Amino acid sequence: MTVASAAARTPASAIETAALGKRFGEVTALDGVDLTVPHGTVLGLLGHNGAGKSTLAGILTTLARPTSGTARVAGFDVVADAHRVRRRIGVAGQFAALDDRMTPRATLVLLARLHGLGHRAARARADGLLELFGLTEVAGRTLRACSGGTRRRLDLAAGLTGRPEVVVLDEPTAGLDPVSRLTLWEVVRGLARDGAAVLLTTQDLAEADRLADVVAVLRRGRLVASGTPGELKARVGSRSVTVRPADAADTAHADRALRANGIVAALDPARGTLTVAAASSRQVTDVLRALDTAGIDPGDLTFSEPGLDEVYLALATGHGPDAALDAAPDTAPGTAPDAAPGGPVRGAA
Amino acid sequence: MTAVAERAAERREQAPGDGASVPAQIGVLTAHTVQAMLSDRRLLLLTLVEPLPMLLVFGQALSGLARVPGFPRGVPYIDFLVPALMVTTALQSGLQSATRLTDDLGGGLISRFRTLPLWLGSVLVAQSAAGLVRGLIRLVTLVVLAWALFGFRSRGGPLALVLAVAVSLAVAWGLGWLFMLLACWFRRGETLQAAAGLAMFPLMFASNAFLPVASLPPWLRAVAEANPLTHGVTAVRALVLGRPALPAVAATFALALLVTAVTAPIAVRRVRRTE
Ligand SMILES: Nc1ncnc2c1ncn2[C@@H]1O[C@H](COP(=O)(O)OP(=O)(O)OP(=O)(O)O)[C@@H](O)[C@H]1O
Ligand SMILES: [Mg+2]
Repeated sequence: MTVASAAARTPASAIETAALGKRFGEVTALDGVDLTVPHGTVLGLLGHNGAGKSTLAGILTTLARPTSGTARVAGFDVVADAHRVRRRIGVAGQFAALDDRMTPRATLVLLARLHGLGHRAARARADGLLELFGLTEVAGRTLRACSGGTRRRLDLAAGLTGRPEVVVLDEPTAGLDPVSRLTLWEVVRGLARDGAAVLLTTQDLAEADRLADVVAVLRRGRLVASGTPGELKARVGSRSVTVRPADAADTAHADRALRANGIVAALDPARGTLTVAAASSRQVTDVLRALDTAGIDPGDLTFSEPGLDEVYLALATGHGPDAALDAAPDTAPGTAPDAAPGGPVRGAA
Repeated sequence: MTAVAERAAERREQAPGDGASVPAQIGVLTAHTVQAMLSDRRLLLLTLVEPLPMLLVFGQALSGLARVPGFPRGVPYIDFLVPALMVTTALQSGLQSATRLTDDLGGGLISRFRTLPLWLGSVLVAQSAAGLVRGLIRLVTLVVLAWALFGFRSRGGPLALVLAVAVSLAVAWGLGWLFMLLACWFRRGETLQAAAGLAMFPLMFASNAFLPVASLPPWLRAVAEANPLTHGVTAVRALVLGRPALPAVAATFALALLVTAVTAPIAVRRVRRTE
């Protein structure tokens, strides 16, 4: 088959879910998720613990079946065509899927052989991946005697033995040192450049910001936003204001005062700060007036362009302008936000 | 088509694609399983000396049985005993395959296998094929030790002895699948061992393995005659003693096939099930 005819077969989207749902008895882990990831794109999936990230990753990798809706990966249904999906995916789950009694090299060679490579090709593939992930030195050691980061890297390498066109990585950089993390970022970017689609879950917002073309936020199984990092920042508010009351004991007090005025702030108890998305200076005035009325000295006052942190806090905790965000999901990456930035972070009235 | 789509298509072309064929998967996994088995040097060493205590204890303690009613005339007890040990060795070998399987099912690699274009039954077939290799090593060790140290002789000649080993391997194969099915059910090694222990004792002793069936009390005789292991022992013993063996040999192979045909599909279905 020629490349041209393969291109004709290439589905529009590498990952496509429609009204995807997953229930575990009483628990609804996923609820009506509509997600699209085109080829050549990195999607960063964000969400609190228990938001449903791993559940989604599990369904996309055919490990679990959805209880409602559909998911297509590389153009094939994950339930009806699971086998075809498996030919095209690469997976690294949240927990390493390896055999402790084996060495890194033996693991990769075995997987490459199972992918249909001959002896020699499998060994070459294994060596290439060992090199790429900096595992050459420990290649002959049993995994039991390897560090956690080594396992993690081997698990990622293992996910790439089959030259997948869709890659699903569940918290790939958890437990990696900064150098390995940078290596992984490069590998992921390289995969996307080569036309693969990558879905990765992460708790690291800087990672999502730098690495992902599109960011999607899950909250209690629902997709509450998706768009480029830039779009999401723009939607949450063009800027934010952070106050740190002079008296740290006032932080909680200040939070109540703001709430009483219908303003919801993201509280950072460790730093004693309150952050409020504020698109206009009027909203900054509102914050200050509310604090003044309550007799709280705003102390340190800083303005900042929104980072993904603010976006995430606003979205993942549900203390945000949901209506505005929910109204415009799935904006194609690269397009400008269609609506004016959302209003101030007013409480959900 | 955009440049990205083209690159995606190219990527698809470079991918190994269909994965290995099922026979190739089984080959790769069998080689892997056998290698893992042989690389455990301590286990291998233990396997090689394991028949010694059995030969010594059973050979000495039970040799008086050669005088019980129904015992074949003019046959040294060791020649009567070795076929029984061959079949119980096969039994243990089957159990070992299943224990290995619980290790694999409890480990992480199996969940990666579930995301590969792999027929998961290959894992079971490979394990049972590796079980044959293990069984062969153990059986040859047993026969060689019995021959060199305890004066065991095959009265049916070398060819009959080879066939006796093959019959024992058939028993190991069939029971291996039965135990692997239990392994897929119980998932845990300890539970499997407990269940197997429960079955092992009556299987071994309520049979013709160590005593002629004729010497047993009637109710136990009934049990022993229904015991599938009795068929295996009868076949192996007839071969080794140079007696007519064809019906028993055929029955044993048929029984092993039947057990495999019933248990293997259920085991494969269980292991393939997600969640
Ligand atoms: N096998 C299961 N049985 C029952 N409930 C489950 C199962 N797997 C997940 N859940 C529930 O589904 C919800 C989503 O879990 P999931 O593992 O997808 O979260 P997550 O976003 O990956 O969290 P984390 O960041 O902690 O990894 C949780 O409430 C979890 O308790
Ligand atoms: Mg998770």
